[in-house]
Amino acid sequence: MTHRSLYIAWALLVALSFGSTALSASGIWAQWPGVAGVAVMALAWQKARIILADYMGLQRAPRWRRGFDVCLTGLCLLMLALYAAPLVL
Amino acid sequence: MTDKDALDALPGELLMWILIVSEVLVFGAGLTVFLSVRITDPDGFAEAQDMLDRTAAGINTIVLITSGFLAALANALRQGGARTKARFCLVAAALLGVVFLWIKGAEFASKAASGIVWDTHVLFNFYFMLTGFHAAHVAAGVVLLLLVAWRDHVDNIEDATAFWHMVDLIWVLLFPVIYLLQ
Repeated sequence: MTHRSLYIAWALLVALSFGSTALSASGIWAQWPGVAGVAVMALAWQKARIILADYMGLQRAPRWRRGFDVCLTGLCLLMLALYAAPLVL
Repeated sequence: MTDKDALDALPGELLMWILIVSEVLVFGAGLTVFLSVRITDPDGFAEAQDMLDRTAAGINTIVLITSGFLAALANALRQGGARTKARFCLVAAALLGVVFLWIKGAEFASKAASGIVWDTHVLFNFYFMLTGFHAAHVAAGVVLLLLVAWRDHVDNIEDATAFWHMVDLIWVLLFPVIYLLQ
């Protein structure tokens, strides 16, 4: 893992975190809660992927990375479905 | 690729990865139950959630991912033989962990001062349980980081920083579910 890639990972994580916080403060939740929910979970999913790949070194183990990606995606989709349930029921 | 090759490809100790997966599953189950219970009372959850301090949690996210960056940098520096710089990064990462705990403590104290306790609404039950359990992991991680800054074997640092990244990973999933999904 190069130092440069760690700096890039950190900068991306900070940018994505600001994105999440900005979304929470915006008025989008009142108008399109479903869209906002998808956006917030997509940002969280991407942050988790960066931590796994760059901070935890799975970038050097592509097969493990794919396995973790599948499990993480499944968990995020499950949480998103549970969040969206009251919107569609 | 044999089974041994596949395991060798995994960075760090297998046992640490088993711990990481177990912890993510425990928190994942907690968050899944939280969202399942929310289906029964979405309006009540939204009202209770508005009492949470999203700004403090957002600041804590930046603090934790910066701390994770310093821990990852310490790992890379130690593997490159830069022991003093690695130690400095580990201590800085631990200090940011303390900052996280201080902000979290202030958040809990503010809730207590407002008369908000675990049974004020079911959301707070999950809030105190999940974020409190996570904070306990942060406290354990701070101790681990300081220990490996002292006993700075490459393997020790790799394992301790992997634990720290797990704490980071859990927070980036916990933060949007508890604080943001309205």
